[in-house]
Amino acid sequence: MSMEDYDYLFKIVLIGNAGVGKTCLVRRFTQGLFPPGQGATIGVDFMIKTVEIKGQKVKLQIWDTAGQERFRSITQSYYRSANALILTYDITCEDSFRCLPEWLKEIEQYANSQVVTILVGNKIDLAEKREVLRHRAQDFAESQSMVYLETSAKESDNVEKLFLSLAGELIREAKQNKLDNSDAAPTLGEGKSISYLGCCSIN
Amino acid sequence: MPLPVPDVPASRRLALDCRTILDHRVGKGVCGCCGALRPRYKRLVDNIFPEDPEDGLVKANMEKLTFYALSAPEKLDRIGAYLSERLSRDVARHRYGYVCIAMEALDQLLMACHCQSINLFVESFLKMVRKLLESDKPNLQILGTNSFVKFANIEEDTPSYHRSYDFFVSRFSEMCHSSYEDPDIRTKIRMAGIKGLQGVVRKTVNDELQANIWDPQHMDKIVPSLLFNLQSGEGVESRSPSEKEKESPVELTERCFRELLGRAAYGNIKNAVTPVLMHLDNHSLWEGKTFAVRCFKIIMYSIQSQHSHLVIQQLLGHLDANSKSSATVRAGIVEVLLEAAAIATSGSVGPTVLEVFNTLLRQLRLSVDYELTGSYDPGSSIGTKIIKTHGERQLQEAVIRTIGSFANTLPTYQRSEVMLFIMGKIPVPGVHPALASSGSGPEGTRMIQVMLLKSLVQVTAGFQTTNMLTALPSSFLEPLLSFSLTEDPEVRLLVIHILLSLIDRHDNRPKFSTISIISDISVLKLKVDKCSRQDNLFMKKHGQQLYRHIYLGCKEQSSGRQHYENLYNLLALLSMELANEEVVVDLIRLALALQDLALSTEESMPVYNRCAVHALAAAYLNLICQLTTVPAFCQHIHEVIEVRQKEAPFLLPEDVFIEVPKLPPSLEKMEGEVLFLQSKITEVLGGSGYNIDRLATPYIPQYTDDDRLSKRKSIGETISIQPEVESRNSPEKEERTPAEEITFETLKNAIVDSVGMEEQERERRRQVVEKFQKAPFEEIAAHCGARATLLQSKLNQIFEITIRPPPSPSGTISSGYGQTQSRSVPVYEMKFPDLCVY
Ligand SMILES: Nc1nc2c(ncn2[C@@H]2O[C@H](COP(=O)(O)OP(=O)(O)OP(=O)(O)O)[C@@H](O)[C@H]2O)c(=O)[nH]1
Ligand SMILES: [Mg+2]
Repeated sequence: MSMEDYDYLFKIVLIGNAGVGKTCLVRRFTQGLFPPGQGATIGVDFMIKTVEIKGQKVKLQIWDTAGQERFRSITQSYYRSANALILTYDITCEDSFRCLPEWLKEIEQYANSQVVTILVGNKIDLAEKREVLRHRAQDFAESQSMVYLETSAKESDNVEKLFLSLAGELIREAKQNKLDNSDAAPTLGEGKSISYLGCCSIN
Repeated sequence: MPLPVPDVPASRRLALDCRTILDHRVGKGVCGCCGALRPRYKRLVDNIFPEDPEDGLVKANMEKLTFYALSAPEKLDRIGAYLSERLSRDVARHRYGYVCIAMEALDQLLMACHCQSINLFVESFLKMVRKLLESDKPNLQILGTNSFVKFANIEEDTPSYHRSYDFFVSRFSEMCHSSYEDPDIRTKIRMAGIKGLQGVVRKTVNDELQANIWDPQHMDKIVPSLLFNLQSGEGVESRSPSEKEKESPVELTERCFRELLGRAAYGNIKNAVTPVLMHLDNHSLWEGKTFAVRCFKIIMYSIQSQHSHLVIQQLLGHLDANSKSSATVRAGIVEVLLEAAAIATSGSVGPTVLEVFNTLLRQLRLSVDYELTGSYDPGSSIGTKIIKTHGERQLQEAVIRTIGSFANTLPTYQRSEVMLFIMGKIPVPGVHPALASSGSGPEGTRMIQVMLLKSLVQVTAGFQTTNMLTALPSSFLEPLLSFSLTEDPEVRLLVIHILLSLIDRHDNRPKFSTISIISDISVLKLKVDKCSRQDNLFMKKHGQQLYRHIYLGCKEQSSGRQHYENLYNLLALLSMELANEEVVVDLIRLALALQDLALSTEESMPVYNRCAVHALAAAYLNLICQLTTVPAFCQHIHEVIEVRQKEAPFLLPEDVFIEVPKLPPSLEKMEGEVLFLQSKITEVLGGSGYNIDRLATPYIPQYTDDDRLSKRKSIGETISIQPEVESRNSPEKEERTPAEEITFETLKNAIVDSVGMEEQERERRRQVVEKFQKAPFEEIAAHCGARATLLQSKLNQIFEITIRPPPSPSGTISSGYGQTQSRSVPVYEMKFPDLCVY
């Protein structure tokens, strides 16, 4: 009935060990900067960004969760309504990679079964400190049927691509879903999380 | 779709306003946002915005808009849509002054029109709130929250089925965790988050059609967010006076948390409490205890009291789930249970009384195992964690205190049940190894014995009963007293503590906590009631066992000052609480027998113990003679004490029960005036009408093979000891026998010659004890649980009858009991006590 400022709304949740660079990725994407001295996230952080993909406005609600274990209960509660999860690790930190199976278990347990998960190896600017080889992560991602991407929040490598390709994938899924249950309500996200509205359609 | 009405001359406006139907005339299909011909409502909306946003909402025009909306309510949704459109634009263009004005207008319209159907308007309104909440500007977030809170306090007459509060809950929870740099703004954002959550709760809690706020998906966000803020406030330095007037974030959070909990119905408690447990786990807050305790105090005080047992159950479940966590975590949970139990109203333990105690006892046993094996997993050789003995000890103490705290909430009859339940769990070495701790051997068994007796000390503390017989069935007293025969001094002491709690009903116990010769007992201001009928029956039944317990306790070489002090206390309380004339006579005989014991050279008692027993007997005789108020009796006791003071002070408590007892190297043979004389006492008391024959008969506890067996800590054998054998040969036996025979013939029809009977009885008792020991706890527990009510009413009935029988000479009645008591009552028959004879 009134003008919406978007065609699609998706909820994206970032998860992964503390310090892998989740917050930096989000800030790079939403604000275009690399925050110096970024402190650990407390609980959850929220950002919004609207992007245009093939002429369609896609609003991305981004929930950046704390990696610290003590916030696990609050962060888990955000998985459920996520349309997509960005599972992040730090390529210079073997440990953050080794924890991935545990994260997948959490996803299994708390997230919607239709959630789109993408694996991200961050901090590729620190190539000399790399501890996890690219193909290792690639293999792992494939074995779990995830897309794998390497990024640098610092150098802004692949950050835009990460979010935009995710948005594209979500649109595809949404359309597919709409075809699959053409008369049913959209299944992703809350109530009317996805709206298909003309731009200037008052009344 | 109807299109907006084109502008009309001013003169016709009013008419149109009143005949709103005209609004639906079809216009020219011009898109509202592009046309120059703007509908009236849009102009009204536009007019509320001043040229300069600093000037704020144009009040007069706002009134016009409100009036218009009220008279044309069906226009509300379009007004809302248009306002939101403007607001969105202004947000995008960073014209925050106008944003505020638009929001203010939306608020005012909402307030003015809330009694009407505003569903669609609300949609626009919420969209705007959402828009503001999406912003990364703190003031817009706060603005949006404030509007949401106003909205939350409005009662809508038509519920909205599809409205989702998911985003609001997510965002408000996120705001509760704000880490905005500027601390003032951070606090504001966090407080806005809390208020927002409160709003969502208010809005949805009573409306079943709306999103169920109690679902885990919401509770798991709301509760941790509140707790995070409750916790952040801890340790904040005191605020300046001006700030004190304002509500602090912590106060606000607590209020909000209380409100949430207060609204929780039976079925919602679990979902509200689970995230609390998780939060405390994740933030390692059990260890510190204080915060966890604080949370649960809030919970217990806020929920409806009839739900408190649900919280207790969850805590117990959590304790079990943490069986392998460190002792500090377990101790923290137990501490919380303790506090929660203290707050819970009586009966809050709910239908699962024994389950509560079962869980706590299980934890106790686990802890003992951990402590002794040094591992959480007795199977593996290397424990995954290092068990800290100290931590386990603290946990054990906490569990024991918690057991006491729970017991305190119970009515008397349930407390007896719990006492019996715990008693049934006390392992007896060699007799029932299945109940002993697994894999930690005799030391573990002993430790558990001590723990469970300590638990009983807690459970019995403050126990008050008018009816000793029902409260303390043989199935409890007999095993308890059997523990008094072990060589373990700590166990014996605990048994006396338990007996003292049970017997003291007038708070006289503290007055006898030390032994001394009190020259005038009126200074103690003792409270004494006349013995009730049940008291007399109780002593008939159990008196001999108690005397024996005291006698043997005095005789134990490992008895120390504490033992003697407590035994003295026990004698004093028996005299105060349960002594009729017959009991007084028996107690005096017992005191004299103790003197004989201390004099005896057969028993190789050390000097200290002999002096202690002398001193104890003296102190007690000094007390009892004053209680009898027989002057000649008092005089005799007084004289002996005076002589002792001069010639043998080491036979008096003042020289014995002190830091460094003043003892002679050895005790010479004592004679004459330093001793209390049985003949003298018999004489003086006989003159006052006491039973001379009985007084003249020395008290001799029966020594049997069983006794020596019991030394090896066997419960089975000790119970079968005939407590009153000695009285069979006493003169009053003759008087009593006829009454007994009648009683027995009528009811049991089973009189046999006394030797045969004794053996028969012994065998039977052995079976009973075996049954008692071998029955699994669960069985006993289930049995007790299911029958508790039935039993209670039965007992009440029975006692109803026994309490008012036709008046008959008490001697006859009690001798009937005196006999019955020698038939030990099987555990399972306790439901139908021998009182059925009446
Ligand atoms: N060199 C480099 N450093 C990065 C990159 N991304 C993040 N960092 C640094 O890594 C540290 C942690 O980054 P955050 O974004 O706070 O990590 P996080 O995953 O949000 O951590 P939590 O909020 O605790 O879960 C910061 O010191 C960042 O400066 C990157 O792409 N390259
Ligand atoms: Mg972060």
